[in-house]
Amino acid sequence: MGAAEDPALGGGTRELYPFLYEASADPAPVWADATRSSEGKATEIVLLRRRMAEVCGDRVAVCAEQMAAAFAGGGRLFTFGNGGSSTDAQEVATAFLRPPGGRPLPALSLTTDVAVVTALSNDVGFDAVFARQLAALGRRGDIAFGLSTSGGSANVARAFEEAARRGMLTVGLAGGHGGMLTELSESGVLDHLFVVPSSSVHRIQEAQTTVYHVLWELTQHVLAGTPTGAHARPGDHADSRPGDHAEALPASGPP
Amino acid sequence: MPVASIQQVAREAFARRDTAGGALARDAELITRAARDMAVRFRRGGKLVVFGNGGAGTDAAHVAVEFMHPVIVGKPALPALALSNDAATVSAVGADEGMAEAFAHQVRHWAGRGDIAVGISRDDGGAAVRRGLEAARELGLLTVSLTGGRDTPPARTETRVDGPSAAHTGGDTGTGPNGKEDRADRGQNRHADHVIAVASADPAVVKEIHVTTYHLLWELVHVFLEQGEEALT
Repeated sequence: MGAAEDPALGGGTRELYPFLYEASADPAPVWADATRSSEGKATEIVLLRRRMAEVCGDRVAVCAEQMAAAFAGGGRLFTFGNGGSSTDAQEVATAFLRPPGGRPLPALSLTTDVAVVTALSNDVGFDAVFARQLAALGRRGDIAFGLSTSGGSANVARAFEEAARRGMLTVGLAGGHGGMLTELSESGVLDHLFVVPSSSVHRIQEAQTTVYHVLWELTQHVLAGTPTGAHARPGDHADSRPGDHAEALPASGPP
Repeated sequence: MPVASIQQVAREAFARRDTAGGALARDAELITRAARDMAVRFRRGGKLVVFGNGGAGTDAAHVAVEFMHPVIVGKPALPALALSNDAATVSAVGADEGMAEAFAHQVRHWAGRGDIAVGISRDDGGAAVRRGLEAARELGLLTVSLTGGRDTPPARTETRVDGPSAAHTGGDTGTGPNGKEDRADRGQNRHADHVIAVASADPAVVKEIHVTTYHLLWELVHVFLEQGEEALT
């Protein structure tokens, strides 16, 4: 995790490792306690993944079906996030574009081009860094996929608003209580939102990696049921150019 | 058409993470030892260089930002650099010397003894990561390898190359402080001072376990740094 965006994390090392603050100058107990603490955290993420499967497994399946339909219709995937979540956005893009197996699909992480990112940040503002790129690249039928551990990243929220205006399928991953992204889900801007119920930025990120890998696997599963080549190629949109739908759509996007 | 409903496929996909996730808990001691050695290097002014190819390049970037910009307010920033982020240099070295040299070249020109190299690969098949770790060992860096595919399939135990780690792990290269078997050695050539291998051959699962692994490494590095010298010797 890089972006200190999650107020839910709260405490520091004292909460994570209370034994450090007990009187002991002997390194041996520190070693044993550190190991035990790691064992506990490794177990915690296993349980959190199971919880995610129970809470949102069926919704993940529905989301994957809609993503597969979007790809089959010639849609492209755009991913975004800040700090550690930007590395997840990059992971999602490369997982779809260059999978270890299955069908390669058009995907782009919006933090890839540092020239674009710094130009927009410097000239317009950091909140616009993803929304502006979607305004230029995105079109109806594409997919906007954003990650935020807190759900409180303004540039991610702005990007979803822009994506919804364009008629894109919008998919968000968040943690804690979901922050602004929960509001966007309730108002219909976000088509799919998966919130990891944890107060730890680290555990949230770890559970999110599983959610997007399962989404990728299910998308491939659905597409495998359609003949190869049945989907439109991403460059085939004679009837849809970037910007065509910008003003024509209601602000709230698809239901 | 598949027989299982997509909801069933989803449940099975989530459940497929359980085994490797449980195995990580049993690797906690390995992680503690690696973090302790990393803390020693940071304490003495060393920096971290980290690299991975393919999707593991995104993990290298994550590790770097984890150390450079701590998520917990008040933790000191520690010097870290992801070598796979420099697309210009990676593609230049790759085109001229071959992709296998992409990280080794940067290690030789960016790092020195006293530093830390972390190489990340999901199937142990990345020549660039292996060469990067080799170059790091030759220079005397502490080397940490996050890899995958442990026990799948069982590989032959090859000649172990003990590196400079023996000196600063108190000579317990083969066993942990509790005398347990060093799981990293089982079935693998020891290509780094610390080898933490995920018990899965699925690259997606390996990545997920790697994320937890480096989160724990980061936390424990700070734990050891706050402990003072006695915990680092």
